[in-house]
Amino acid sequence: MTAIVSIQNATKDYRLGKVVVPALRGVSLEVMQGEFLSIAGPSGSGKTTLLNLIGCVDTATTGSVEVAGRNTAQLSERELTRLRLNTIGFIFQSFNLVGVLDVYRNVELPLLLQHTLSAADRRKRVLALLERVGLSDHSRHRPNELSGGQRQRVAIARALVTRPVLVLADEPTANLDSVTGQNILDLMKELNRTEKTTFIFSTHDARVMAHASSLVRLADGKLAETGSVGPSIHEAAESGAGAAP
Amino acid sequence: MTGLFDTLSVVVQIAFRNLFANRWKTLIVGGIIGFGAFLVVMGASLLDSVDHSMSRSIIGSVAGNIQVYSSESKDDLDVMGGFSFDANSIEPLTDFDRVRRVVMSVPNVAQVVPMGINGSLTLSGNTVDQALAKLRQSVTQREQGGTDPALTQAYDDQKDHVRQIISVLQGDTENAKKLHDAQALASDDLGSVTKAASTEFWSSFDRDPLDHLEFLENRIAPLATDADMLFLRYVGTDPKVFSRSFDRMTIVEGQAIPEGQRGFLFSKYVYEEQVKLKTARNLDKIHEARTNRGVTIAKDDELKRLVREASTQVKELLLELDAPKTRLFLSKLQSELHSTEGDVGKLLSQFLNTTDDNFDERYAFFYRELAPSLELYRVRIGDTLTIKAFTRSGYVQSANLKVYGTFAFKGLEKSPQAGTMNMMDLVSFRELYGFMTDDRAKEIAAMRATSGAKEVTRENAENELFGNAAAGVALPSGASPSEDLNTELSDLAGTHKRDETAAYDPGQLEQGVILNAAVLLKDDTQLDQTITAIEAAGKKDGLPLKAISWQKAAGLIGQFTTLMRVVLYTAVLIIFVVALVIINNALVMATLERVREIGTLRAVGAQRRFILAMLVLESVAVGLVFGAAGTVIGAALVAVLGHVGIAAGNDVLMFFFSGPRLYPALASHNLVAALVIVLLVSVISSVYPAWIAMRISPREAMQSEE
Repeated sequence: MTAIVSIQNATKDYRLGKVVVPALRGVSLEVMQGEFLSIAGPSGSGKTTLLNLIGCVDTATTGSVEVAGRNTAQLSERELTRLRLNTIGFIFQSFNLVGVLDVYRNVELPLLLQHTLSAADRRKRVLALLERVGLSDHSRHRPNELSGGQRQRVAIARALVTRPVLVLADEPTANLDSVTGQNILDLMKELNRTEKTTFIFSTHDARVMAHASSLVRLADGKLAETGSVGPSIHEAAESGAGAAP
Repeated sequence: MTGLFDTLSVVVQIAFRNLFANRWKTLIVGGIIGFGAFLVVMGASLLDSVDHSMSRSIIGSVAGNIQVYSSESKDDLDVMGGFSFDANSIEPLTDFDRVRRVVMSVPNVAQVVPMGINGSLTLSGNTVDQALAKLRQSVTQREQGGTDPALTQAYDDQKDHVRQIISVLQGDTENAKKLHDAQALASDDLGSVTKAASTEFWSSFDRDPLDHLEFLENRIAPLATDADMLFLRYVGTDPKVFSRSFDRMTIVEGQAIPEGQRGFLFSKYVYEEQVKLKTARNLDKIHEARTNRGVTIAKDDELKRLVREASTQVKELLLELDAPKTRLFLSKLQSELHSTEGDVGKLLSQFLNTTDDNFDERYAFFYRELAPSLELYRVRIGDTLTIKAFTRSGYVQSANLKVYGTFAFKGLEKSPQAGTMNMMDLVSFRELYGFMTDDRAKEIAAMRATSGAKEVTRENAENELFGNAAAGVALPSGASPSEDLNTELSDLAGTHKRDETAAYDPGQLEQGVILNAAVLLKDDTQLDQTITAIEAAGKKDGLPLKAISWQKAAGLIGQFTTLMRVVLYTAVLIIFVVALVIINNALVMATLERVREIGTLRAVGAQRRFILAMLVLESVAVGLVFGAAGTVIGAALVAVLGHVGIAAGNDVLMFFFSGPRLYPALASHNLVAALVIVLLVSVISSVYPAWIAMRISPREAMQSEE
């Protein structure tokens, strides 16, 4: 198995005025193709920062981040954007659909940005995905006409429409009730299994972590623990979730 | 490529849906842009039309397309003359024939019209002078033995008229005495009036009329202050060439100055404003304002003032009334006003104190019943007008010119600026300006000759006195010496007193001195090139020629549209700067509201240029849609106005509109200008918000909703 993401001792500092806030203090991590990885940790632990580095929306202050075999530190802004477009799919905590576009267009958007497929091919792919996420009947709806779960399913379809090797999900279920959240996770897991797409998602919800095939735990910008999902992790997750305020 | 097109289509979709989603913001921004575009189209079209009609008026009246004058002149030529009566320091061009030859050598020149422009203060005869002059004429005829009963009747009437005038003057002096300290009035003036009004004076008049007349002329006439100074600006030109070249010129009354005749044409405007009886002029003005502008005496202060002026200043009318006319007016006014008042002055005052209810009736009555007995104009067509002007070297030169009629420039009839130009023949102009003309040269030669002859005559006379025998030899037989001397003297007088109404050789117009010349072009779009060509031709010939466009030649008036254009463009600029700021603000706010959306687009793979395109497209779309709407509304309004016209509410507008209505025309370049400006404003106003938007990091998409 090849590493789709390879991080070596990455740090990330943010500047708040004159104060330098370290968000990541040296993280090393390898993510293999086909993993269903959960990045866990309380808020402020650096989960989002780590996802940002993996998602090429940010670069490390020191250390190296390689995504799909490319060192992000050496890429220009335009190349990073292209990398995001072609290899990474994003699912956001607040869905982040384009409000003025309907469901179909929202899903089609990354394909339009790529402009490599013909209209017919795009249509086939978008409709197949909408079917897959169970929103075939809603393709002409606007996002504000959908429920939270439906919106997140649109977001999943959008993330997958370019057939990326990696999908990043930032707290994908945080804004959903537990049943809907469960459905979304099931959907993601199923896609992971059938499409062999690598999923990396952050969460501080132990029940969400339980779905992960592997887990990394972040605390104060450092990795606290990595490993495959086992009962111990379940316990840790439980206790971690309990410890988090 | 289809991919690119699809990308564009999604940009367009997002942009338009955003505009629609924020329709109030869009409407406000669009409204401002639309108004700006409307203003550009409307304002520029109106200005173009004013410019066009003014240029036609100015070119077609005095200026021509180009004016040429001596480049050695100290001042710039101003044919419309501003408002000063100082003659510009324009150096004369000594040989018009040469000027014309040089200018005509430029292929685009169609016609060259010789000119000179100057002004003078001329005393219009006052009523007393005129009455006394008539009386003197009758007296002279009677002295020469005229016994015609008609002459006697005229003589008596004229005497009565003068007496009437004196009694009006006496009333005036007594009023003045009441108002001022009696000391302030020169006591001998008072004495003179009292004497002239006395019965003794008039009973002794017939015994020695010439002596009495002299007293009246020297002591009484100066007291009558109704003589007005006429400020006359005139152009001296070749009348035939002028009327042929300037299509806007029309003869209103009388006839054109005949070829080869000295003469004067009043501008109709001057004739009405300055020469017409003031009471009549005031009535005309009230009538015109009421009929054309729909104002009422009750509501309009200007009309109230005119009514007051007419009803209080009846002296001018009274002075014209001799005894029979006084009786006539008395009876007519008494029946019209149903009054038993016996004082014609009071009746007139009452009659002229008009209101909205009776104005129309009294206006008609005035012209129907009273005007035929009045001299409505102080100078009548056919009269001889004495114009005194300062020559260049400062002495006063005078010319007696027959007034052949009045003329107006179509479109400029009501213009105080351009309507004040009167006209005379160029030969008289040259004399008044102090140039040597053929006639003057001949006259001087003749004077030399006669003064030489005079000396001889004196010798002859001396011979006559001291040697009868020699005289008998020297003089032609049969002629008495005294007779001969008389003939000589009267000849001499005749030569000195030039007869200005006499003909001159039209060839004089072709040569000799001019101050400037109007140049008319075959193709008026070639203005600048022709100016250059004329000056070059002048240089080649060694002639100091300066050529200027009609706009420059018309001075302030020519600059007016340029000035208005500056005002319009400043207003447009301000509107668009305001629009720019508002649009910029709105877009910045919209961008900040859309940070997450833009961040998301960036995160899922939209390049910065996609964001840029999206935002610029949004504001350009607003700009184009609303700009086009504003342009279309403006164009529609111009089209409608072009059909119905815009009424010129006052005289100044009449000038700018070159007529009573302006029919604006739509020029395509104004539409293009409006759209280009709108587009520019839209693009510029989206630069800063787009810059902000491009700097939004894709990380923004990851921020959880607060």
